[in-house]
Amino acid sequence: MEKEASQLEKDHVHRVYEKIAPHFRDARYKAWPKVQQFLSDQEPGSLIADIGCGNGKYLHINSQTYKLGCDYCFPLVESARNDGHEVMVCHSLYLPYRNECFDVVLSIAVIHHFSTKERRVRAIKEMARTLRVGGQMMIYVWAMEQKRRKFEKQDVFVPWNPSPPSWTLSNTCSRGIQKSINQKDKRLAMDQHSAKLAGTSKARSSSFVGEKETTHNLFEKSLRWSLFSRSLDSVLDLSNQWHQRELNTFSNCNIQLDELNTGKLFEQIRQGGFMKHISNLSLRCRQNFEDNASEVAVEPGSPMIFHPVPFKSCYSELGQDTKQPPMSPAIIYDCSRVCLPDLLSHQKDVKQQLKIDYHSKQSAFRKLQNRSRTDSSLQDTDNDCSMATRNKQPQRSPNGACLRYYHVFKEGELVELIEHHVPELHVIHSYFDHANWCVIAEKIHVWKI
Amino acid sequence: MKLLTHNMLTSHVRGVRPGGGFPLRIQATEVKVNNVDFNQEFVARMIPKVEWGALLEAAESLGHLSDLPHQLPPEYENNEDFLRKVHHVLLEVEVMEGILKCPDSGREFPITKGIPNMLLSEEEET
Repeated sequence: MEKEASQLEKDHVHRVYEKIAPHFRDARYKAWPKVQQFLSDQEPGSLIADIGCGNGKYLHINSQTYKLGCDYCFPLVESARNDGHEVMVCHSLYLPYRNECFDVVLSIAVIHHFSTKERRVRAIKEMARTLRVGGQMMIYVWAMEQKRRKFEKQDVFVPWNPSPPSWTLSNTCSRGIQKSINQKDKRLAMDQHSAKLAGTSKARSSSFVGEKETTHNLFEKSLRWSLFSRSLDSVLDLSNQWHQRELNTFSNCNIQLDELNTGKLFEQIRQGGFMKHISNLSLRCRQNFEDNASEVAVEPGSPMIFHPVPFKSCYSELGQDTKQPPMSPAIIYDCSRVCLPDLLSHQKDVKQQLKIDYHSKQSAFRKLQNRSRTDSSLQDTDNDCSMATRNKQPQRSPNGACLRYYHVFKEGELVELIEHHVPELHVIHSYFDHANWCVIAEKIHVWKI
Repeated sequence: MKLLTHNMLTSHVRGVRPGGGFPLRIQATEVKVNNVDFNQEFVARMIPKVEWGALLEAAESLGHLSDLPHQLPPEYENNEDFLRKVHHVLLEVEVMEGILKCPDSGREFPITKGIPNMLLSEEEET
């Protein structure tokens, strides 16, 4: 099982990061303010290790301290090196550091990439080993509970696409809207858009049947949605007035949620592509997107995929096999064959998206529906990574995105992990920061009797 | 790789005795010397955190030992002369290309473009 876990991480974490490393220079990969603050608060002369430092976005903070970054991904480490940082390549389960040499250890958005609970615990213990008694560790992991949506599973694949080229806001908006309006199925485009707005407040998507949108309204709504989604995960200060006003306006939109029916399946599949397009329209949205933001906003895709009940009728229509599915890991590979909607796209236009292989996707979606209903979910059991490595290549969605594996954490899970399995760490602070569960823990002496 | 970094590094190859992987022996093929701003307080605070013997050994292997003492002088916090020498060795000397060798197992870890590669193979992982 260890081998499979390791292989999953190779395929869906390491290889993906290697591939997307050049794009980490984008402005969207900014530092979390609370992490910055934590670092700034450290004493002069502190020795700080950033485990899983990526391209080193935290390594420049607080020049009174000495920071060592390390990461498994060569290209990212090289990138950090080019910025003048002290970095190395290593695996976070085998840190090349002597015991208790650091005053501070950071683990920001790293351990959620480990595919078993045992490996996550090992990672924390390994970091704790390098921390001196009295020293502090800060850990950030993706939360399952997002502010306005929920993952339905803890083990997910999230697609990643390079960001689109920068367009000016006004040009792209009108161009983008014009494109959608020119679609043969104009009504569908508008329904999709409204449905997407609805989808951001609940896991269900729906259509806004019966409402006619003017071009202006559509633009306004899409802009709001872009801002809305950005607010979920952005490092921007949410007290910013302009931002706040937009949020308020959005929340005042009345959106009716309809019952799902068969027809919505088609819309949902295509929503992803449409949403991608909408998100391109907001230049600021893109510039300020955090790593999390671009992917968390994807998640309307996941709940959509795993949403069981409404598709029951379609399901039986197709005469699908309703037997118990094979082991749950198989779902992961099925997931990855399905085109998960992702927020930032290549330059494919909406029309092209809509035409993508509708039929095969539809049946794939329906298969997934059945499996997710009847199988035991990918909860944190020791079985969840006994997967066949039938496909060693990183899974790709049809439009070329790489899929990254995440184990998203439930509320309290990270704290429980530490309290029950890492006696040498004492949790002193735990909180929710944007889309993350966060812990600050202190290394303590463990007395063995 | 600066010598302050090197001072934290150890080998964890399977089978190495506890503590047997430190300090890594440096075989440098390219060394760079930079100018780094001297911060007296920073250096003074760093000294208790380093393994002094390992630092001396590393500095010597690179030909930068100069006249650093084998023992820490008393009240070094106010000894600017001494601290400047330590500053030089900790922060200004960089190994750009070379090898870090585990004293116990002999395993070699390469340094390329200033970046040590400390990855273990599967067989070496404990």
